Amino acid sequence: MQVLADLATEYWRDFLAGTWLTVQLVVLSSVLGLALAVPLAIARLSANRALSGAAAGYSLFFRGTPMLVQIFLVYYGLGQFEAIRGSVLWPVLREAWVCALITFVLNTAAYSGEIVRGGILAVPKGEVEAARACGMTRAQAYRLVILPRAFSICLPAYSNEVVILMKGTSLASTITLLELTGMARLAASDTYQPIQVFLLAGAIYYLLTLAITRLFARLEARFTRYMTDAR
Amino acid sequence: MTTTGNSRGAQPALEVSGLRKTYGTQEVLRGVSLEARDHDVVAILGSSGSGKSTFLRCINLLETPSAGELRIRGELIGMTTRRGRPAPADPRQVDRIRARLAMVFQQFNLWQHMSVLQNVTAAQIHVLGRSREEAVEKAEAMLAKVGVADKRGHYPSQLSGGQQQRVAIARALAMDPEVMLFDEPTSALDPELVNEVLRVMRGLAEEGRTMLVVTHEIGFAREAADRVMFLHDGRVEEEGPPREVLAEPRSERFRQFLSGSLK
Repeated sequence: MQVLADLATEYWRDFLAGTWLTVQLVVLSSVLGLALAVPLAIARLSANRALSGAAAGYSLFFRGTPMLVQIFLVYYGLGQFEAIRGSVLWPVLREAWVCALITFVLNTAAYSGEIVRGGILAVPKGEVEAARACGMTRAQAYRLVILPRAFSICLPAYSNEVVILMKGTSLASTITLLELTGMARLAASDTYQPIQVFLLAGAIYYLLTLAITRLFARLEARFTRYMTDAR
Repeated sequence: MTTTGNSRGAQPALEVSGLRKTYGTQEVLRGVSLEARDHDVVAILGSSGSGKSTFLRCINLLETPSAGELRIRGELIGMTTRRGRPAPADPRQVDRIRARLAMVFQQFNLWQHMSVLQNVTAAQIHVLGRSREEAVEKAEAMLAKVGVADKRGHYPSQLSGGQQQRVAIARALAMDPEVMLFDEPTSALDPELVNEVLRVMRGLAEEGRTMLVVTHEIGFAREAADRVMFLHDGRVEEEGPPREVLAEPRSERFRQFLSGSLK
């Protein structure tokens, strides 16, 4: 206990900074990932073979390879292309945290896209028909009926994806980022007390998981009210 | 608006001619025709598998007819062939036509995530382009008309089947449709809830609404319909005023159907 207290007094700033970076990565990549997941899911369900095929290929690639490999591909791989190295974006794309963010967004979009697709398919067919039958266009039916319905159906599965994503962000430490795991590694090699340090990191991850599940429980209570208030 | 100068009433509200629908090799509709003028109430009867629901769903193109012509107030719905299958030529024409043909479904199909009021205002606002105030005012009037004004803030899952179906009727009415299509509106209801829905539908018939009603309720057909159409095996087996055809059916199948459903 004493050791943990010493650790906390000496390294709290580092752990705080690491936790903050982890939170930023999770929030940004889940928001951007979801924004990408919705068009991906709609593309996968499209009658246009080229479109649905492309979306399926995307999903296959990002769900079929380890995120660590993807993060290396982006971080070490992008620089191999002359066109990218020479572009105005290079100073941004060179940044480790940009590479990590890109990877996380693309990766979580693939998984979330599958979740959203499942949610869209779970919307009762009759409600979609009712939307079309009163003259709504396909886009209006998606915006007013299908997506809001799918959203509430997806929430429980999606909260799981965010928890998994949050733990996945620890991989950013392999490309020099000092998020929670990166900071812990630094502190461990400083103090030669890996058990205490990583236990502390684990405890912080646990608290973050708790926060995420709490947040989603509230969202669920809000957005599935129409299903649970029955009678 | 789209009736190219014809005043309302000069053209029949709805003309269907030679409608066919096949699924693979199975022919569900083998050439069904129907003309509905303003204020007509047509009851469409038939045993299950006769094609009566498919017929109704072809009229607003929830199912794509394989052949035949559909005219709404004289306006022909353009059809074409896409990837070897019949398809509407202009999706926007279909959306526009659908807004003029409101449908009431067997399973109500209310949007579960919206309140009763939102269910009745959504299409008014987003399809007809009415202002929110106008849509709410209309919705409240229609909900009062079907007797569920006090449920405006409820979600559909909090209502009984009969109440849900009445909300669905209010949702359809709020669109000021030229023709209302009812697809077995009482078939999913508990027996004691059937009457509250039928009462509302009788009221609409008396008001002079143009209605096509696929139903098993012979009583409703007898009392509220101007015309009865009996479908069998994808064809019109018998058609006429209810007092004549229900009292003295000429076709043997229709007689069997009627004696079966009176039990």
